[in-house]
Amino acid sequence: MDWLPEFWSYVTAPFLLEGALLAVQITTLATGIGVAAGLALALMRMSSLKILNRTAWTYIWFIRGTPLLLQLVFVFDALPLIGIKLDPFATAVIAFALNEAAFSAEIIRAGIQSVSRTQWHAAASLGMSSYLTLRRIILPQALRAILPGLINDAIGMLKLTSIASVIFVNELTFRSQQIVGQNFKFFTVFGAAAVMYLALTSVISWFQHWIEQRLDPEIERQPKSDFSLMTRLFGFSRGETPHEQVGNPKYSSITTTHALSAKNIDATHTIANISASKTNDASDTLKADFVICKNVHKNYGKREILKGIDLTIAKGQVVAIIGPSGSGKSTLLRMINHLEPMDQGEITVNGSLVGYARTSDGLKPKSDLAKARADAHIGFVFQNFNLFAHLSALENIMEAPVQVLKQSQEQAKISAKNLLARVGLTRHADHLPHRLSGGQQQRVAIARALAIDPQLMLFDEPTSALDPELVGEVLQVIRGLADAGMTMIVVTHEIRFAREVADKVIFIDGGIVIEQGSPADVLDRPKHERTRRFLRMVEAPSSYGEFLEA
Amino acid sequence: MKVYAVFTLAATLLFSNALMAQTGSTACEPAKLAQKYPTLVGKTIKIGVDPQTPPYIMRDAKDFNKLVGFDADLSREVLDCAGIKHEFFIGGWGGLLPALNAGQIDLFWDDLYYTAERAKQVNFVTYMQAGTGALTQPGNPKKITSMDTLCGTTAAVGVGTVEDPQVRAADEKCKSSGKPGINIMTFPDVAAGTRLVQTGRADVFLYDLGLIDSLVKDQPKMYSRGFAVLSGMAIGAAMSKQNKDLLNAVIDGMRVMQSSGKQKAIFEKYGLDPSLQIAAEVKTQ
Repeated sequence: MDWLPEFWSYVTAPFLLEGALLAVQITTLATGIGVAAGLALALMRMSSLKILNRTAWTYIWFIRGTPLLLQLVFVFDALPLIGIKLDPFATAVIAFALNEAAFSAEIIRAGIQSVSRTQWHAAASLGMSSYLTLRRIILPQALRAILPGLINDAIGMLKLTSIASVIFVNELTFRSQQIVGQNFKFFTVFGAAAVMYLALTSVISWFQHWIEQRLDPEIERQPKSDFSLMTRLFGFSRGETPHEQVGNPKYSSITTTHALSAKNIDATHTIANISASKTNDASDTLKADFVICKNVHKNYGKREILKGIDLTIAKGQVVAIIGPSGSGKSTLLRMINHLEPMDQGEITVNGSLVGYARTSDGLKPKSDLAKARADAHIGFVFQNFNLFAHLSALENIMEAPVQVLKQSQEQAKISAKNLLARVGLTRHADHLPHRLSGGQQQRVAIARALAIDPQLMLFDEPTSALDPELVGEVLQVIRGLADAGMTMIVVTHEIRFAREVADKVIFIDGGIVIEQGSPADVLDRPKHERTRRFLRMVEAPSSYGEFLEA
Repeated sequence: MKVYAVFTLAATLLFSNALMAQTGSTACEPAKLAQKYPTLVGKTIKIGVDPQTPPYIMRDAKDFNKLVGFDADLSREVLDCAGIKHEFFIGGWGGLLPALNAGQIDLFWDDLYYTAERAKQVNFVTYMQAGTGALTQPGNPKKITSMDTLCGTTAAVGVGTVEDPQVRAADEKCKSSGKPGINIMTFPDVAAGTRLVQTGRADVFLYDLGLIDSLVKDQPKMYSRGFAVLSGMAIGAAMSKQNKDLLNAVIDGMRVMQSSGKQKAIFEKYGLDPSLQIAAEVKTQ
């Protein structure tokens, strides 16, 4: 053990510590700059603008494909020829940042793409801009996938700064080499350097653990847990097996109990007073045409989805759109709040073109589509709920009022709690979506859509993704809205629900309106053979019926 | 007429140069910096070095923040002699010449061999002759006594050193005379080369004579010197072709070092053979 004092003297040598500090400074700055640039490159890579996409791709291709050593020497020794003379430190930071930008761009792109596209759609339906969606919805979820890759890069960079010795950066490994060059005690000196590197990378690993906890919505909402530094470094804590950490029985039992007791809520009662004022407004303009679709066309590539849809909906009306799968019902719905562009035709909601401007050449999409959507106040409920996965039920509802409508946190929270009460989910306010049953998620989604104070609600097969026993609770909520006088368009397969709640039923098949009229006309006395055939196929005893009979 | 004028001018220049060599090189005149080398007033000259090349440039064992070694001492003496401010700029050896070309450093003074190819890019002032030393295990068990005795051995050489082509030539010679060839191992830095001999992976390590001698002197139980040959190459300091004042300052200073015996004293301080000294000379292409 007589080597130990000498070994320790190297570990604590100011000469080596200064080198370590230099490596840390370069790594910190280059990672910061590189990741910021990497985010920009990742967005460029995903841009539909070819010039941006190709520029980013070319940059990444070149930087990833050429040796870092060469880039360092180039920046240090070639740029002076055109009058740019950088010192070693600045050169190292720039060259490492340029590299990190290229590598992190692909990590960030992968992370962003790992978040479901439907999160973008949900945010768009609430009038959130792309930037806002990226910042508030996508990146917080993507970061959990991005972070391990970026930390890998940072640790790799810390150790790789030694190659900058070629441009006169005197960091830890180079200083160790110089000592070895003088005394040839290779293992002692490099052993000491290894201890220093390990200490520094341990700090980075700890930072990763800390920030991952901050990003984990589940952990963040729990009381202080058993997660520790040990867990991060070695994957387990003292005195517990990895198995015991998995799951949280407390949470699962709550979820189960409430899923069962959800049947007992009186949804009709809780929703009845949702919008009394709307009923009054509606009486004035009840028969006026509130939503007007004129000759609406849509193609996906060569496939014609909508071949000229004409329909009108009055204020306060509840319209059920029925039709076979692939008939274009959902597409039509998504064009009403401009989630998708039209190829031809015109849609107005309360006189507004929702993101289009009328020009002499016809309709032109506006540049600020998000604002147009926000101004239109159209609520949208998706088949697959599309709740923001990292936000609790309450936060899901508050997101658009606070971020888009600029309400205060307090005000938005009070409204959100009221909405949750109205859909019977007060006790689930702080639960994340994946802790809720499908029916509960859809009720939160409806509350979220109502939070933007909609003048029109669009439902895209709101019960199709639900287990049969959960369909009833969602339909009750929608029915409550209808009773309160909300103007609604519901794409549905629940024929019995359509018959009982809708003022008007529209049957679409093959991209055109085959038949429309009162539920009694369309559902009980259909004129067209196609309508009859469709109704025979779908009109089995519905879940809604079972629910009412239960 | 024109030819005559050029001839006269050249002759005058030659004569005055010779005069300088005799009269101007007798003493250091740091106070006359502004007179003698006006463009260097107020400038700090960056001396590019890689302190992993004992005995030329290395870290001081007592204080790692200090640089010692033959080239370190000599370059400091020469620049002090002219009254020029200076600092060492420390980087990997491979990056020194590109940095000099780019103007990131002003002087490259670290066991650099003069070659005609290098002199096309930079000016040299040479001051010592280079030799190749053969480092072996203690007692030289393989009896390596000259380049011709390398046949059948494993020899380590540094990447890009002058020894590299010499050993390859020796290998060809072995093979053409029917003897077993040389197993050549290349390494990136000196410490890696010495480890090859230490662990017995290589029988011999061929490198600059000064370095080999200092290794044997410091660790006689670990190494022996098999043989030494003078390679006929010269070691010098290099600087930009544009910097005429610096060239003059270095050649003037070197002449002072040689006439005063300072260079030989530094040779002895670091265990180098004083007979390696050659008359300081400007070499350019």
